[in-house]
Amino acid sequence: MFHLRILLTALRGLRQNLLRSMLATLGVIIGVGAVVSAVSILEGAQKDILERFESLGADQVLIFNGTSGRGGHRRTLSNSLEPDDAVQIESENAELVAATSPQFRGVGQVKYFEKNAYANVLGTTETYAKVNSYHVTHGRFLTREDVRGQSMVCALGYGVAIELFGAMPAIGKTVKINGKSFIVVGVMEETGALGFTNVDEQVIIPLTTAMYRMFGQRYLTMLVVQCKDAENLVPCIDGVKRSLRAAHRIKPGEEDDFTVYTQEQIKQQFGDTAKIFAIVLYSIAGISIIVGAIGIMNIMLVSVTERTREIGVRIAVGARRFDILKQFLAEASTISLLGGGLGLLCGWAIANFMRTYTGGLVEAYTPMSIVYLAITIAILVGVASGIYPAIRAARLDPVQALRYE
Amino acid sequence: MGDSVVHALAGVDLSIEAGEFVSIIGASGSGKSTLMHILGCLDKPTGGTLEFQGHVISGMREKRLAELRNRHIGFVFQTFNLINRTSALDNVIVPLVYTRRSFAKEQARRALEKVGLVHRAKHKPGEMSGGECQRVAIARAIVNSPSLLLADEPTGNLDSRTGEQIMEVFHDLHQEGMTIVLVTHEMDIAVQADRMIHMRDGRIIEDTAVDQHRRDEILAGMHEGFKKVFEQKTAGRRPARPAKPMNAGDAERKLRLANGE
Repeated sequence: MFHLRILLTALRGLRQNLLRSMLATLGVIIGVGAVVSAVSILEGAQKDILERFESLGADQVLIFNGTSGRGGHRRTLSNSLEPDDAVQIESENAELVAATSPQFRGVGQVKYFEKNAYANVLGTTETYAKVNSYHVTHGRFLTREDVRGQSMVCALGYGVAIELFGAMPAIGKTVKINGKSFIVVGVMEETGALGFTNVDEQVIIPLTTAMYRMFGQRYLTMLVVQCKDAENLVPCIDGVKRSLRAAHRIKPGEEDDFTVYTQEQIKQQFGDTAKIFAIVLYSIAGISIIVGAIGIMNIMLVSVTERTREIGVRIAVGARRFDILKQFLAEASTISLLGGGLGLLCGWAIANFMRTYTGGLVEAYTPMSIVYLAITIAILVGVASGIYPAIRAARLDPVQALRYE
Repeated sequence: MGDSVVHALAGVDLSIEAGEFVSIIGASGSGKSTLMHILGCLDKPTGGTLEFQGHVISGMREKRLAELRNRHIGFVFQTFNLINRTSALDNVIVPLVYTRRSFAKEQARRALEKVGLVHRAKHKPGEMSGGECQRVAIARAIVNSPSLLLADEPTGNLDSRTGEQIMEVFHDLHQEGMTIVLVTHEMDIAVQADRMIHMRDGRIIEDTAVDQHRRDEILAGMHEGFKKVFEQKTAGRRPARPAKPMNAGDAERKLRLANGE
């Protein structure tokens, strides 16, 4: 009850000059708002990416062309992965490797009569669906024969199928991908994001068709290896590396001309990036909050000066110095808390607005820890910025204060 | 200021009994305001002792002084000194906030009733006339039923008509037993008290009871309405005290100020 009275008195004091009080909170509102919205987006992105990687599976290993640039060497994009590497890996590591999925990625325009869509074109083998637990709802997926024969067949991602065919069945129809005719043999289930790609906006054709007949390329974009179980990941990776080095005729002592990533490594790299972002973010926010605190202190000093007479009267009717100190400290804290609360709401609103506006491209997630942090900061700022003006107010000599013009 | 020492008060030896109505008159710079601030425990004398209701003020802690100002002393100022953008009721409540009393609203309302302004309880100073503001200030001063009321030029910012009304309130309060010390530079106001102290250059040059003869002299030149009000009020009053000699060494002191400088 006592604290409520203090709050009400503080609010009354602030209401004396409402506009000025609101301007004073602006710094804190912006500071807190910026932190909250940015953290929400950052946290949302991290959560989003991590969720996508969960789907990747802890037993999967991704292999890319070129060196990673670690160990002080320059990063090279020397292409080196070929379809036969997958075969070699599988045959030499049968006990550890469950399957391999070589992939080639490009983009293309998919047309069905007058309807068309831009899509990612994925050239891969029959193992893709199994490795990613991503299945057809209509028709069938690619087969080994399709790959061997460089067939002109395709499986459409859910979104592409809807775009081109609507509710009509797509199986058996002919579409043109980058000008070449393909027969639709399958439509995939609705999935959304799988790793870094939105597979609903993807069309899948045989690896060999993609590389040799459509894009004229010799090397893969990446190679996914599914190890038999996550516990034996390390020996599996060792085996894979050995096979690749042999296939690429790399001499002992020479560097790998490929890079192997595990889900763990990707998570960690992303985590590192996120940490850097966070540090930068919090620094900027910290500065903005300091500015906000200075703003509040300034306004409070002005307020104390303006209310010098009032302070004199309060002392004359029985206020102790501590009462005056408490009053102005409470007012500063109230401004700050209000600013913090508003900033929290604004930040949350902005982050969610971004999410809606970009249709889910930007994710937003506001963890409770940020809410507590915002409130704590608001209180600290209030006390820190209010203490000096409050002390000045409390030290006023009543007789002189009463004479103040 | 600079190297010279300014004595606002010098050699003041004064005592005031409970229930007295005293006026302190003097020109600007005569030290009357300083005297009032010292009597009200707002300012500390640089020499001498001050006793209030038997307690010696000089060594008191700030907390105790604040308590005195809160419960036993009421201030009324020339410029009202109400808090703007705050209702009359909330203004009157201010002392009660520091008394930490519950049911504050009720007590404040009663104080406003006493000065006849309950109907303006929700109005802000900016919405009220000068006289009404001063009455709210008086309500604030008496809300804790103090034993001493100190008024510094209470009618200074008011026209004579309103000034009458305010003096009426003081007379009412005095009738109920309150001790009132009123500082002014106007003779018509000063003679309305029972006892008048005349100050000049920091010293008391006269300290006498106001006898009827003198009062009539002065009031003769006053506004008719004022006179009528005053006569009505003084009709049932106690007779004025006999004049107190300057250096009386009476044992009974209620408010005693012995000042060396």
